[in-house]
Amino acid sequence: MTLFLQELVVGITTGAIYALIALGYTMVYGIIELINFAHGDIFMISTFVCITIFAAFGITSSSSAPTGLALVGVLLVTLLGTMLICAVLGVVIERVAYRPLRNAPRLAPLISAIGVSLILEDVGKLWKGINFVSFPQIFPEITYYIGPVYITSVNILVIVVALVLMVALQWLVTRTRTGRAMRAVAQDREAAALMGVNVNRIIAITFFIGAALAGAAGLIYGLQFGSTIFVLGFTLGLFAFTAAVLGGIGNLVGAMLGGVLIGVIEALASLIPDSVLPHGGAAWHEAVIFVVLILILVFRPSGLLGQRTPEKV
Amino acid sequence: MSIANTLVPARRDTRALLIKWIVGLLVPVAVFTFVWSGEAIINNALLSLLGTGNVALGISLVVQLAIFILIFYATVITLAGYLVAADSGQRGMIELWIDILVFVVVPLLLVISLGLIIGFALCAVVWPLYFLVRRRVRQALHYTPPPPLQNLRILDAEQRADLMSRAIMGGFWFSIALAVVWLIADLIFYVSGALPTILLISAVIRTLILPVAGYFLGRLAGVIALRRTIAQKNGGNGESDTDRAGRRISKRRQLEELSTTRKREEARDLVPNDLPLRSTGAQRFYLILIVAFVLFYPVIDPFLFGFGTDGRLAGYGDAGYYVILALGLNIVVGFAGLLDLGYVAFFAIGSYAWGIIGSTQLTNILSLPPINQHLLSGLFWPMIIGAALIAAFFGVLLGLPTLRLRGDYLAIVTLGFGEIVPIVFLELDKYTNGPNGIVGVYAPAFPGTNWLSATPYYYLILALIALTIFANIRLRDSRLGRAWIAIREDEIAAASSGINLRNTKLMAFGAGAFFSGFAGAYHAAKLGLVSPDNFSVGDSIIYLAMVVIGGIGSIPGVIVGALAVYSINQFLLAQLDSLAADPSNPLFAIHNAIAHVFPGFTFGNIRNLIFGVLLVVIMIFRPEGLIPSARRRRELHAGADEQAEVGALDVVPGAPGFESEVRI
Repeated sequence: MTLFLQELVVGITTGAIYALIALGYTMVYGIIELINFAHGDIFMISTFVCITIFAAFGITSSSSAPTGLALVGVLLVTLLGTMLICAVLGVVIERVAYRPLRNAPRLAPLISAIGVSLILEDVGKLWKGINFVSFPQIFPEITYYIGPVYITSVNILVIVVALVLMVALQWLVTRTRTGRAMRAVAQDREAAALMGVNVNRIIAITFFIGAALAGAAGLIYGLQFGSTIFVLGFTLGLFAFTAAVLGGIGNLVGAMLGGVLIGVIEALASLIPDSVLPHGGAAWHEAVIFVVLILILVFRPSGLLGQRTPEKV
Repeated sequence: MSIANTLVPARRDTRALLIKWIVGLLVPVAVFTFVWSGEAIINNALLSLLGTGNVALGISLVVQLAIFILIFYATVITLAGYLVAADSGQRGMIELWIDILVFVVVPLLLVISLGLIIGFALCAVVWPLYFLVRRRVRQALHYTPPPPLQNLRILDAEQRADLMSRAIMGGFWFSIALAVVWLIADLIFYVSGALPTILLISAVIRTLILPVAGYFLGRLAGVIALRRTIAQKNGGNGESDTDRAGRRISKRRQLEELSTTRKREEARDLVPNDLPLRSTGAQRFYLILIVAFVLFYPVIDPFLFGFGTDGRLAGYGDAGYYVILALGLNIVVGFAGLLDLGYVAFFAIGSYAWGIIGSTQLTNILSLPPINQHLLSGLFWPMIIGAALIAAFFGVLLGLPTLRLRGDYLAIVTLGFGEIVPIVFLELDKYTNGPNGIVGVYAPAFPGTNWLSATPYYYLILALIALTIFANIRLRDSRLGRAWIAIREDEIAAASSGINLRNTKLMAFGAGAFFSGFAGAYHAAKLGLVSPDNFSVGDSIIYLAMVVIGGIGSIPGVIVGALAVYSINQFLLAQLDSLAADPSNPLFAIHNAIAHVFPGFTFGNIRNLIFGVLLVVIMIFRPEGLIPSARRRRELHAGADEQAEVGALDVVPGAPGFESEVRI
């Protein structure tokens, strides 16, 4: 039971990161029905951006971390800087690789997205090499015990940052003019355009926000796991997409819920003993998540919170 | 003398045509014969037949070489006759010569001097440059080439006879020109001492035979060209067969009348034609040349590129399984429009199928005494089908849960599948030896062949490719293939037309996976081991790139795409890296400049970057790929033709005036 609760804590923490990435998938899918394969790689790039910004502050894995207000300042600047850079990257990708294909057959933007994903992956490889890159652990790790279960300060930071961003996003989408325009475009692009919504601008904003969230996810991922690598985007992208599908693609709350659920499932999968699966569940966690994806798609393709929509003719 | 009359060009324009094509074709043929190896092949074969040379080739080699040489020159002479007959004479002489220079002679010279892959890679740089320059020059000169023939020209008996005589003249005079050039070249070689005296006899015989052969090959070309003409109808009025009352018109003919676009496309292939080099008639000749070249490649390779035949053949064998994979993936992605990003999984399954059975692995797992190696090796032949069937089974299995999903979900599920299957093989180490892989996989056995050299593998993969291409073409044109294409275009409309979506999609998955099983079994047997490292999910994307770059749904396009991607992937980048390591090479400085900014930069390191850029650029600027299928091109560029089509169809089919309306 203790082990179960402990894995639950781990699961919720990773789940919060997945949720942030899943939001980017779900928003883009909701608005232009495209699986943005490059999204996971934007997240990967963001972890590298974080390391670079830290380095600009003189912080590396070996140097001593700042404390107090300096720490908060560094973290805030890094967070906002990474979000901004990734957001711009997302908008540029949309402008270059997806917008020219707005009216092309469905397969075209999808293949273009795969192309962008390949490009970003190799950019990451050129930038930081082919090995794991260590991420400076600047946030002091304090362990709190709740009964037998422990939770670290980093876990708490991750969950708090993710929560704040999700609440902000929810507010933006449901309470602001831009958010209303986004929902209108997602429902019916042509009708929205007729009502005076600048569709291209709204799509660009969606990419901006989605990529910014991936940027934030990059920072908290680095703080939580302490290392990153150029192929990170692929696996995490797949997990996050599964999360988005689990929650119901196009649904923001669903993506958050799905992300946390996937994180928990992944953590619990590592409890599967060797006798069931050779080498234990941890070696199979990708397979477990994939099976989850298949099961959702077979039994509830609209996801947990999504609505069944008939295909547009 | 009637023959003499047919051989002397009566009209001036015919003479111009003859000069145009004889010069145009003679130059590349001369380059092949004298600069490269045509002459060397013939002389070596003859010398070893006579037993006087210091090179003694086996009799089977000589026979193969002789067949190749005969096919090659006969095809070229016939092609000359065909082109002279099929040319409408609208396009200028110089224009054609420049085209032949850029598209045939330059690649030949580049390949001769730099090798096959670097040569073609440079062509890929030269050709776009040429297009750019040509467009600029044309703009500067305010010149627009006449558009290709737009109407169906009906030939009367006199014109047909003229066509025939032109073909004969083409074959005859081209052969004479070839014979004369060859004789002069041989005399020069003889005087300079490079040619043994005994071969002068063969030169004389050749000079005598060539014109006669040219005459008959020209006749053959004329027959081929005439089959592509539209003859006048018996009634004497070509336009009257649709509206003549009471006459039955075949269904097919009615359908043909309906599509103006198709008509226009067919008009481009009719004889006479403005661009005969690009017509499907001429493409048959290219196909014969390519097939002859590929089939006899192992024997002519030493003459073309010198030592190291075995290594090159091994490389081409590997390129071959990429071709099979691309063709298989093309069924799923190209025909049925289902984006499969996990194709590598089926390839892995096929590999492991033969890997486990074709080694001591299976008997070890079952704790049985090992089976005789010869028996197992012979088992390869049934197992190549077995591996394909196993892969197809998993293809259907993966298809089942994804049937109800839209294309994009499918992409992600297949991506996950491609990620999982290698993990399964890695972790189930009881059966697969995990990360160590299965070693000691047996090669196939076939009486009279030595599987330690690369040649039998070359022919094996050739046979598999031929089988795959044949199956692909038959599938594409079958009822099932048309159903796939219908699904690709509009799933809902297809379902409304009575297509069973579930079965059709499952068949696409199964058929696509089937061919990857071929490739997998071949791969395991050739490499002699199966390791999970050989199957990364990134490879699936590379396979997709082959299909997309070549042309989605186009069989020749996909083959070219696979070869291009394979060359970039396996040879070109490595070659660039080795060139960049040489300080005297200009690439050295470029490499250093980039490596200064990005430490660890090598050309091999950016292969995904290159493919990524290619994918994006092709999707934006040329979504139909390098060599598109006619249907796909029509779909993607429908807009321009739509107006004419609508206008034409305002007239009810069968009504008076309908046909004249359709014949644009």
